[in-house]
Amino acid sequence: MNLKDCHNFSDFRKLAKKKLPSPIFHYIDGAADDEITYQRNTSSFNDVDLVPNVLRGVENIDLSTTIFGKKLDLPFYCAPTALQRLFHYDGERAVGKAAQKFNTMFGVSALATVSVEEIASLINTPKMFQFYFHKDRGLNDSCLERAKAAKFDVLALTVDTITGGNRERDLRTGFTSPPKLTLSSLFSFATKPMWGINYLTKGKFELPHLQDYVKEGTSTNTSIGNYFSTMLDQSMNWNDAEKLCSQWGGHFALKGVMSVEDAKKAVDIGCSGIMVSNHGGRQLDGSRSPFDQLAEIVDAVGDKIDVICEGGFQRGTHMLKALSIGAKACSGGRLYLYALAAAGQAGVERALGQYKAELERDMKLMGCKKISDLNRNNLRFRKV
Amino acid sequence: MNLNDCHNFDDFRKLAKKKLPSPIFHYIDGGADDEITLNRNTESFNQCDLIPNVLAGGGKPDISTEIFGRKISMPIFLSPTAMQRLYDPEGDRASARAAEKLGTMYGMSTMATSSIEEIVNVSSGPKLFQLYIHKDKSITDDLIDRCKKAKFDGLCLTVDTIVAGNRERDHRTGFTTPPKLTIKSLFEFAAKPGWVFNYLTNKKFELSNVKHKTDKGTNITKSVIEYVNEQYDPGMNWQDAEYCIKKWNGPFALKGVMSVEDAKKAIDIGCTAIFLSNHGGRQLDGSRSPFDQLKEISDAVGDKLEIILDGGVRRGTHVLKAIAAGAKACSFGKMFLFSLASGGQAGVERALQNMQKEIERNMLLMGCKSLKELNRSKIIYKK
Ligand SMILES: Cc1cc2nc3c(=O)[nH]c(=O)nc-3n(C[C@H](O)[C@H](O)[C@H](O)COP(=O)(O)O)c2cc1C
Ligand SMILES: Cc1cc2nc3c(=O)[nH]c(=O)nc-3n(C[C@H](O)[C@H](O)[C@H](O)COP(=O)(O)O)c2cc1C
Repeated sequence: MNLKDCHNFSDFRKLAKKKLPSPIFHYIDGAADDEITYQRNTSSFNDVDLVPNVLRGVENIDLSTTIFGKKLDLPFYCAPTALQRLFHYDGERAVGKAAQKFNTMFGVSALATVSVEEIASLINTPKMFQFYFHKDRGLNDSCLERAKAAKFDVLALTVDTITGGNRERDLRTGFTSPPKLTLSSLFSFATKPMWGINYLTKGKFELPHLQDYVKEGTSTNTSIGNYFSTMLDQSMNWNDAEKLCSQWGGHFALKGVMSVEDAKKAVDIGCSGIMVSNHGGRQLDGSRSPFDQLAEIVDAVGDKIDVICEGGFQRGTHMLKALSIGAKACSGGRLYLYALAAAGQAGVERALGQYKAELERDMKLMGCKKISDLNRNNLRFRKV
Repeated sequence: MNLNDCHNFDDFRKLAKKKLPSPIFHYIDGGADDEITLNRNTESFNQCDLIPNVLAGGGKPDISTEIFGRKISMPIFLSPTAMQRLYDPEGDRASARAAEKLGTMYGMSTMATSSIEEIVNVSSGPKLFQLYIHKDKSITDDLIDRCKKAKFDGLCLTVDTIVAGNRERDHRTGFTTPPKLTIKSLFEFAAKPGWVFNYLTNKKFELSNVKHKTDKGTNITKSVIEYVNEQYDPGMNWQDAEYCIKKWNGPFALKGVMSVEDAKKAIDIGCTAIFLSNHGGRQLDGSRSPFDQLKEISDAVGDKLEIILDGGVRRGTHVLKAIAAGAKACSFGKMFLFSLASGGQAGVERALQNMQKEIERNMLLMGCKSLKELNRSKIIYKK
């Protein structure tokens, strides 16, 4: 199996599984507890059906959308995800360049393995920096100032991760950052020698946004759960978010808002957008899926801020459904991460290209020429 | 396993799978994307239950109905489907003869491997022609003129296929028209020598209705996806449909209408029928199933045009539920195609006979003497 055989999400996932040492594959693929929320994130799209319109003369399709004041050519973008250097030796560079090619937003994680400065020098398309609120205020200031200096367009504060989710696959595989060879992981690393060679020869693993402040995760091996639980400030509250928002002074979003009440507060503190997200099912298992919760949130704040639906997307039609409900854009992690692991930049480009082709085809089949043509009249919820 | 062992859809499907090279089997069997809609099309019938009446007095029920101005012996007929020559050497001729024998309608695709004229010579039964609008508009005029001359009863314009659906099984098998032997598919074809023998020794494969207009798909190998995306007009609109109706000037349907808004427009431009259809789940995955959508459509337009429920029909009870919910008749594709692949004309006859028997038996069990007695009071939707 190689890249040419990848026609959809599950093909990329299969290829990634072949290429990655199993602790790393399961770090991407896994989620919290029983992974109920993780599964539901995708299956919720199947509880609603599309009703297309015909004969509308739909030769040319405009997939563009505007979020945070930036026009994107696609109505979906790459969510910020940690540690991309582990998935492919080009890491964030590969994803960033692929995103630039499609003129969509690239989200850079606080736990990225390439610095904001380098990303800024590499691509000139819209960029989002994802912020974790650490106990160390010096570290917080440094992250914010560097993202500002690098002219990032959006700062997204992740609010669903004040403590590590219970990712049991990581417990079993012993996944740490940077990867540590334990007896139980040795075998799986040894079976993927190419990954090992690339990992050891193509530049050192680092977390450039953190390493001046913390050893954990950079030179000291730590589990991700441990990192979140010891480094992040669990007392983070609305005042902190508001202060951060004004300190940033640009487009600011909360990532991981699920309730209407919080969405309204996000408007009050000056956010220009929110990601309706449960972190890809990696945090609170049993949490409602973003798509199930989307209508409620859009009805409450959709006219005031950009509502982004995040998580579970594996198909163009999934995105059409979220956009029909009223999301301004869709965002996903795994939809490009498996492709990154499968083949680096070429893989991510193929994946983004396929979603784009699916969206164009599906828009035509729906009889819609532009994203704003999609609406709830075109949806029917199944009775359950 | 042979034709006598085929009692239902799954049996025909199994036998067809045995007989056909796998790229061809999967071309019939597959749907778009994750095949959610493909599966839902049949599943949705199970979201609705029948409520029988007893002691209604026996006698053979009358299951005939009328569509496109022709009486048909049962409320189910053959959907127009492409390239039947690939499933059986007699192809469309076999289907048309079987339909005539059982007294129901045969639907011919623009992409048929027999010509309009050829079919008129083998069948005087009810016939429907299905039109695809090509970028080359002279093809449309030519086809309509020929259908008129050949006295087809009805014309339908397929509106859900302006772009090819994402049929991933075809990507994987490398299915093309005409079939191309690649190293990858060679093994598949070699495993079904009977099919290869029939394919090579019988009439040459061609897209008979359009071959004088384009070499594509006949002499130039194309995947179906390439053909659709190159040849069909994605800019097709309501004026184009209206043009066809005026030119045809007879019973006319749009095939692939799903929304109430479009169904109403269909009335306005002069349609006498619509196929409520998502193309058997082969186009837009996530599209609502025809049966799920039927109630809404029939409430809005059921008294003004004939609603044909197309997609997912496998059983007589499915037909009964559709009629009770407001359809005038049903049509099916995969069910009869698998029977065609299983046993040619005899296979299609057997599938239609099975359907007829199922419908008649179930009408008796429902206590209904004619299709008119089937209405909403006979069904209940599950919560
Ligand atoms: C491997 C992986 C790493 C992630 N790292 C981060 C991160 O560092 N910061 C963050 O806010 N979200 C992170 N996320 C969550 C994503 O931003 C996004 O919410 C999630 O992937 C959406 O679900 P999806 O994968 O089903 O699209 C990560 C997700 C994955 C799968
Ligand atoms: C192999 C195959 C070929 C088809 N070719 C055509 C075609 O050429 N034109 C058309 O309008 N519909 C075509 N259809 C769709 C059918 O007319 C019909 O809508 C569909 O098969 C109904 O779903 P069912 O197979 O579940 O009964 C095709 C379907 C199949 C399975």
